[in-house]
Amino acid sequence: MRKTRILLADDHQLMRSGLRLVIERQPDLTVVGEAADGREAVALAKSLRPDVAVMDISMPNLNGIEAAHQITQIHSEIAVIMLSMHPDESYILRTLKAGAKGYLLKDSAEADLITAVRAVAQGKSFFSPAVSKVLLDDYIRKLKRSGAEDRYDLLTPREREILQLVAEGKSNKEVANLLNLSVYTVETHRSNVMQKLNLKGVPELTLYAVRKGIIS
Amino acid sequence: MHTSNSQPVSEKAPGPRSPAHRLRTVLLLAFGGLLALMIAAGVSALFSLRRLHVLEQQVSNRFVSHTRALSEVVISVHIYDDQLAQFLLDDQPAGPRDADTQIAGRAAKVHSAIQSYPSDGGPQESRLLQQIEKSLSEQEGTSSALLSLAPEDRQARAPGFVHEQLLPRSLSILQVSQQIAYLNGEELAKSNQDLLTKFASLQARLKSMILAALAAGLLISLLGTFYVLRLERQGRGRYLALADSRQELEKLSARLLDIQEQERRSIARELHDEVGQTLEALLIDLGRLSKLAGADQRAMREHIDRLKRLVENSVKTVRDIALLLRPSMLDDLGLIPALEWQAREVSRRGEMEVEVHSEMASEQLPDEIKICVYRLVQEALNNAAAHASAKNARVTLTQVAGKFQVEITDDGQGFDPRRVRGMGLLGMEERVKRLAGKLKIESRAGHGTRIVAELPFNDGSVPVVP
Repeated sequence: MRKTRILLADDHQLMRSGLRLVIERQPDLTVVGEAADGREAVALAKSLRPDVAVMDISMPNLNGIEAAHQITQIHSEIAVIMLSMHPDESYILRTLKAGAKGYLLKDSAEADLITAVRAVAQGKSFFSPAVSKVLLDDYIRKLKRSGAEDRYDLLTPREREILQLVAEGKSNKEVANLLNLSVYTVETHRSNVMQKLNLKGVPELTLYAVRKGIIS
Repeated sequence: MHTSNSQPVSEKAPGPRSPAHRLRTVLLLAFGGLLALMIAAGVSALFSLRRLHVLEQQVSNRFVSHTRALSEVVISVHIYDDQLAQFLLDDQPAGPRDADTQIAGRAAKVHSAIQSYPSDGGPQESRLLQQIEKSLSEQEGTSSALLSLAPEDRQARAPGFVHEQLLPRSLSILQVSQQIAYLNGEELAKSNQDLLTKFASLQARLKSMILAALAAGLLISLLGTFYVLRLERQGRGRYLALADSRQELEKLSARLLDIQEQERRSIARELHDEVGQTLEALLIDLGRLSKLAGADQRAMREHIDRLKRLVENSVKTVRDIALLLRPSMLDDLGLIPALEWQAREVSRRGEMEVEVHSEMASEQLPDEIKICVYRLVQEALNNAAAHASAKNARVTLTQVAGKFQVEITDDGQGFDPRRVRGMGLLGMEERVKRLAGKLKIESRAGHGTRIVAELPFNDGSVPVVP
């Protein structure tokens, strides 16, 4: 069986070696390279073509978000997992916009790393479970303040299904295949979801799904 | 901060021996002296004039009294002579006894007139008076001898006596009295001359006093001008020095802010990189260790779990401190997401709801502006939540041609910005001033606070730093 090839990018050697140890204990995973800053990560991603890049957000020279953006621009098949300290929507939205597939909190990196790597390697999204609670709290507070209601209830069961699949990282075509629908129908449902929830783009939709605990 | 902890700067008053103070004393003394001089001159002139006036009065009184006494003498002599001549030459005298007493009365009048002549005359005058008296006495002797004669005898000798003795003597007395009058006149002229001399000396004294006063006045005005010019020069010098030191101070405080930010950044990095990362790695290792420990080693796993919780706490603490020192969001995400993050953090603590509105065209802001705005908002929100007990706050960012504006409003208690100048507000001002911006603080007790900072900013390029 072909092992999942992983690139580690973190400016701290201790952190990298810790992560490497966790990964290398899995028979199906292997670390192919280590980068100490964003620039090196981009260069190694280009030359090594890993399946997954686990990347710290705060790095010198080029930060993780910028590096993820550059990597996914050139090689969209490389799944990037961002390592972050902050369970905050600003960070999540930015990493999603940069094309990252996973968002892993450093506090739970050791426990969730393997799950996250496997999920994104299969084309799914991954978000640390702790993130969802913080985002939901923020969201509820915001709703209370503005007096608005959660519009999730407005969604039909089909729309909820499609929301989840899109948030998990599936393309319209994949969703259509899974649900036995035409791509056109999926697109219509998807734009309805966006409209009802007042969202712009897949990153916001994904963030919403994470917040609601639909995906993690 | 809403608590004022500004310390009044005590201006050190110039010591009593300072040059300015000495000069002031000198000027005061000089003006006082000048005034005293003028008063003294005036008073002495008045006294002198009064004395001169009295002297003049005395002189004229003396002249008048002497002249009057003299004319009294002359007239009484004349009457006496006249009466005598008349009696002697008269053919039908009323009676010898009557005539006798009458003539004696006339003589007594003459004597009394001479006696009553003022005694303050010179020796010459009294000699002349004695002469008159003497010739009068002689005449008296002769005339009484004549009177005692029988009327026939008397009649026979009378014309001779009158023509040969009485008239010449009378004439001589007149001459003597003229001499006395002349002497009197001379005395008057001399006294007048004396008065004139005294008046001239008074004039001279007055003139010299006026000259002295003028000279002193000139000297004082020169001194005063010099003093004023010197003060002006000193004032200008001090003003320039003050402006200089103020500029220096501004530079210094800007430099301090820079250093503070650098220090914070380096401490944050140090904390995060060294302590934080070590702790994170430790967490990972502890996790692995806990997995390595078999299911049967429960005590050991519990131990490891406790260690993990301790480390997690430390990680959180270190992270919070590092974030406070240097918000990594600014570097990772840019200004607006960082502000939104900050707003959510405040909201999450349950202190106050914060909204961030941005109408920014570009996120390409220079680091100085990012830090400045971030710290402004941080300080303002801190104040609003901690001191003003605000429930809601709003941060608005706008970007107009060449200007970047951040506005922070809250619905807290507010304060009087003219009186309250805590370190927090001062720090805000320093930061904004450093970037050549303007800071406006509007607040009223009970009406919340509005803080607006305007920063000059050319799109995407370096900020205009003075």
